[in-house]
Amino acid sequence: MKKKLLALLLAGVMALSLAACGKKSDEAISVCLASEPDTLDPALNSAVDGATLIAHLFSGLAKWELDEKGNLAIVADCAKELVDGVVGADGKVTYTYTLRDGLKWSDGKALTAKDFEFAWKRAASEELGADYGYMFEVVDGYADGNLNVTAKDDKTLVVVLSNAVSYWNELLAFPTYFPVREDVVASESWATDPKTYICNGPYTMTSWDHNSLIVLTKNDKYADANKVTMGKINFYLSDDANNMLSNFKNGDWQLIDDVPTNEIAALKTAYPNEFVVAGQIGTYYVCWNVNEKILPADFYKKNDAAAAEKAEAEVRNAVSLLFDRNYIAEEIGQAGQVPASSFVAMGMTDADGSQFYKNAGHSSSYVGYFDTAKSATESNFAAAVEILKKYYNYDASAKKFTNFPTMTYLYNTSEGHKAIGEYLQSAMASVGITMNLTNQEWATFLNTRKNGDYSIARNGWLADFNDPISFLDMWTTASGNNDVQLGKGEHENIKLYDLDLSSLGYDVKVKSGTWAQTYDKLIELIKGCTDTNKRYQLMHIAEDLLMSTGTICPLYYYTDIYMISEKVDGFFANPLGYKYFMYTTIKEK
Amino acid sequence: MNSKTLGYILKRVLLSILTVWVVITITFFVMHAVPGGPFLSEKAISEKAQAALEAKYGLDKPLHIQYFTYLKDIVTKFDFGPSLKQRGRNVIDIIKDGMRVSAKLGVIAAGIALAVGVVLGSVAALRRNRIIDKVIMVVTTAFVSMPSFIMGSFLLLLFAVKLRLLPANGATSGGLILPVITLSLSPMAYITRLTRSSMLDVLGQDYIRTAKAKGVPAGKIIFGHALKNSLIPVITYFGPMLAYIVTGSLVVEQIFAVPGIGRAFVNCITSRDYPLLMGTTIVLATLIVVMNLVSDILYKVVDPRINLE
Repeated sequence: MKKKLLALLLAGVMALSLAACGKKSDEAISVCLASEPDTLDPALNSAVDGATLIAHLFSGLAKWELDEKGNLAIVADCAKELVDGVVGADGKVTYTYTLRDGLKWSDGKALTAKDFEFAWKRAASEELGADYGYMFEVVDGYADGNLNVTAKDDKTLVVVLSNAVSYWNELLAFPTYFPVREDVVASESWATDPKTYICNGPYTMTSWDHNSLIVLTKNDKYADANKVTMGKINFYLSDDANNMLSNFKNGDWQLIDDVPTNEIAALKTAYPNEFVVAGQIGTYYVCWNVNEKILPADFYKKNDAAAAEKAEAEVRNAVSLLFDRNYIAEEIGQAGQVPASSFVAMGMTDADGSQFYKNAGHSSSYVGYFDTAKSATESNFAAAVEILKKYYNYDASAKKFTNFPTMTYLYNTSEGHKAIGEYLQSAMASVGITMNLTNQEWATFLNTRKNGDYSIARNGWLADFNDPISFLDMWTTASGNNDVQLGKGEHENIKLYDLDLSSLGYDVKVKSGTWAQTYDKLIELIKGCTDTNKRYQLMHIAEDLLMSTGTICPLYYYTDIYMISEKVDGFFANPLGYKYFMYTTIKEK
Repeated sequence: MNSKTLGYILKRVLLSILTVWVVITITFFVMHAVPGGPFLSEKAISEKAQAALEAKYGLDKPLHIQYFTYLKDIVTKFDFGPSLKQRGRNVIDIIKDGMRVSAKLGVIAAGIALAVGVVLGSVAALRRNRIIDKVIMVVTTAFVSMPSFIMGSFLLLLFAVKLRLLPANGATSGGLILPVITLSLSPMAYITRLTRSSMLDVLGQDYIRTAKAKGVPAGKIIFGHALKNSLIPVITYFGPMLAYIVTGSLVVEQIFAVPGIGRAFVNCITSRDYPLLMGTTIVLATLIVVMNLVSDILYKVVDPRINLE
């Protein structure tokens, strides 16, 4: 009996160890970015992991690549070259692209300029309802639903932009701008099955085991196939950070795009060469509802709405100074986050190629709208208290304000957001301001914040392209992302803002105007401006105006953390967080 | 089977259909009452585009119309509609994909739990108060009381990370071993304890003593008489065990990244994928209702003394 039991046990152990021995292939890389992508249709995708997959499967007019010096650059892909636009008398800019010879779809059919025209018009259409349809906003005719793009012949694509756009080439390398073929996308399920997934990029999809694994295999019909070094990419689909880490540690996966937050500190020391903190163009911030009453009740009785709004803006900006952003970045985030003192994120370039955020604000002694240096923490705090004393009763012995209304901080359920919320709560409590924390599940949270049913909320924004306008146009009155409710509700009629652009040659001089008369006007001017220098100046003015409301309290600039095996060579990622595996090789030790 | 039993089964079937309908109705209206929608994202789409999408999927119609259309499509065409998030895929395909994995996981786990549980329980009963009985009892007490998310994390840490014997990802080959173990341990332990106590009960019955007195061989007594009768409580546990495995798989599939229906279910709630949420709810509810029914009928088959009325 005992012997039989032992034999059974041994057999079991043997079976288990056999199953664990996977065969390793030399020319394949296994990575895990996220769980099942919602879609791999280039027009419909709006996720970073989906974009990475699509960048391997499709090839647009332009692509991201490392140049000889190892710097990231945008180079021509399907286009022979990235031509300069021709500016017309009306300020519209026309680009004429010639496609390279011998471009083919993965099923062997020729790729033509018509495919680009079709794909762009489809992606921008309202019927499709794509999240990123607005990426075509810069193209002439977008507003009327008739995109000004034409295929002159099989090789020539002509596109007209409403005005000069400095990030146009970057848009060409963006997945929404990739070509698709009309007969392929006619069936809505085309992008869910490898058999019907006809693409034109460095790889084709050879299998998609839903929720488990997507396998890409090198596409020999791709024009630059000879440059592609990695034969096969296994994209494992999982969103469990602990699970990803287990697979990375045991060597099954070479790159994982997420790690458990509580492991970050340990991983940084245990894997100094494999734990990567990369820049990302995004800002983590706290937003206030502009219509929330935060002053003592009698202030509103004695003052008009504009004066109250002005005082509220001062209070919000003062509260922002109570927070120690270095503590948040180093002790809570722990992933190399950079303390933020402006809304437009680090990584955005200015007109002269320098960093936009470094030119923000008006101080000569620090960068941005307030000083985030560690040495300034105490003086910021003291300055905040002095400002708040103007509006609230201060108990000098307890060093606390006694009549600041109780606030509620709303965040979406997550340990990381909670930790930050708790810090903000303690910082405010130290001057006697009570702030309760409340969390909601993601979709509910988005809904609440969008409707303005909150007083203070967690927020974050990642740019889709390297131009500050992607941070600024979201605060116009009509924008769907205007969670602060600027220009809405009571704020619509508040006449408080000044705008004088006569020095820049514009006939705009507004004194005590509404949000729509000032900010919306500014954004409209920026979008129509063809002079690069002037355009960036306008964008700085817009950010000044936005920050003066105090409704945006930036905490830190995002970073992207991932782990990549030391065995992998030739890997790179772009500022939007897309990761590129086509030029990788794996060193065998 | 007499007409009384048939009548009972018919009544239960009708009741089951009613139960599933109630589940559908409650889920449908609660789901729509929850704030947020399927087309909401951090980066807002234009109102026109949103309206176009809502019209496309019929979400612009009044709620009661949507409800009746949904019921009609299911009853007449068995059509669960398209997924709102995974565009281009039908709910039925997503459920099929998930069920294939989950069913494998669940059936193996249930099988192991039953087989190992009955054997261990019998061994414990036959060796009552010996060392092996005590060991089995202590271990099973621990397994019964340990929730699956703790057991899963523990096994993952031990076998996948520390010892590197087994893969951590449930989607890879051999990846189902850990989830199956996690999922089967608790019901297995419960069955062991059930079998042990009912076996002890049966072994003390008069007919066993009679059999012994008549000189029936020990093996025949145990397998021919004792085991069959001591399995009755185990069969009653069949329904609750299935419920445990179905709900437990929600957690276990998440821990081991198993691409099953449990994970699809959890994800579609967060993303407000209404048709997928309805589809998975209906499938899981039907499964539990049907399995409880089967378990009740089996009960009758094993023990004819039981009156189903």
